Amino acid sequence: MIRVDSWGIGGSVVDAGHGGRAWLGQSRGGAVDLPAFELANRLVGNGEGAAGLETSGGLRLTVDVPMMVALTGATAVVEVVHGPPVGWGVPVVLPAGAQLRIGRLLDGARCYLAVRGGVSGRDELTVGPDPGSPAASHPAARTPLTHSIRVWPGPRRDWFDTEAWSLLTSATFDVAATSRVGVRLAGPALLRTLHGELPSEGLIEGAIQVPPDGMPMIMLADHPTTGGYPVIAVVHRDDLGAMAQAAVGTQLSFRAARS
Amino acid sequence: MNLLPYGPHAVLAEFDDLQQVMAAAAAWRSAAWPGVTEIVPAARTVLVVHDGSFDTSLLTTPTAGQSTTSGETVSLAVRYDGDDLEEVASATGLSVDEVIALHSGAVYTVAFCGFMPGFAYMIGLPARLHLPRRATPRTRVPAGAVAIAAEFAGVYPQASPGGWHLLGHTDAVLWDDTRRPPALLAPGTTVRFIPS
Repeated sequence: MIRVDSWGIGGSVVDAGHGGRAWLGQSRGGAVDLPAFELANRLVGNGEGAAGLETSGGLRLTVDVPMMVALTGATAVVEVVHGPPVGWGVPVVLPAGAQLRIGRLLDGARCYLAVRGGVSGRDELTVGPDPGSPAASHPAARTPLTHSIRVWPGPRRDWFDTEAWSLLTSATFDVAATSRVGVRLAGPALLRTLHGELPSEGLIEGAIQVPPDGMPMIMLADHPTTGGYPVIAVVHRDDLGAMAQAAVGTQLSFRAARS
Repeated sequence: MNLLPYGPHAVLAEFDDLQQVMAAAAAWRSAAWPGVTEIVPAARTVLVVHDGSFDTSLLTTPTAGQSTTSGETVSLAVRYDGDDLEEVASATGLSVDEVIALHSGAVYTVAFCGFMPGFAYMIGLPARLHLPRRATPRTRVPAGAVAIAAEFAGVYPQASPGGWHLLGHTDAVLWDDTRRPPALLAPGTTVRFIPS
């Protein structure tokens, strides 16, 4: 069992989420940085369905039996009381009684803790049966987070003046806010030429919506399934993890995707 | 129909009206194309999300008269005791009983979902009951609230803020994670409201 001593910021039990439910009004949900979450599960030998923990810092938990864990996503100040250090991207066995403290994040916006067997519950987490498959024998290689995000044209690019697309793909934007729903940017305003009402239409992860103030919003795991702001562009699938990790204050730039 | 770009794994099909949206969404869902992961109807569009291998030329305009329903039917027992019954009656020039008779006498079809998991936008509301949303939305509408706004009927699956006119309440469970599909009112479902 795992006792959660403090959930900290945005701490929760997450899984990979549900695909295929957007037509019923539910977006994927689950881990915001899915590649990082999946990496953590692979490191401890879990299957894809196993649930783990997501945190933006301040998570503290104590284990009552030995268990294997792995940390991925953002790097953080991590302390272990009564146990060996837990580094980034490497499976570590915590002994019974060890307390893991994930403090301030050093880069990125979310880190992931996988537990071999997966977890379920709320404040006292039950660990599932051993998955049987081996844990990773080598630490994961960490690729630095990119701050240059590739984008494809979106369905409503023609609602904007031609300058808006060149601005989007040349200017620098600051991350003003990030949540499980999406990232809000601050930067030069992307101005519309069409000002009509857009009936709400389907959104996907990475869709870049532009409200009338011209400040882009990028959809993440808990995005609404439909929205009424025009989507000027959509983030390349392979850069969704980097979007999920873009912390407040990060400077981002966007460039046209080629493939 | 207009196909709008949405990156290499999605495309947005835009239609002239909601009937075409519903017919396309019903036909495309029943086609069950491999590699297609989401088909999301909305007011004027159908979003198709896929694995990148899907041939979007398969997305053709539905022919006139093609079905807009899935064959699923749901009857919802409703207590007509909503806070806005009187207001709807006076705004439409009807009596409360006439509002209830009109609302419960119609047959509805779920056109699309949105706003929150399991919230269905249903068409079939008699024109006499078409009203704009409330000028000031409520900060809390209870779960199960049976409501109308513009040309749509709806039921709130969870308590939430909301600007629709409240006619009554149902005890039906609109969203259940263990049900397949979890939404009681999926697009294409035929719905009747039964006064109780």
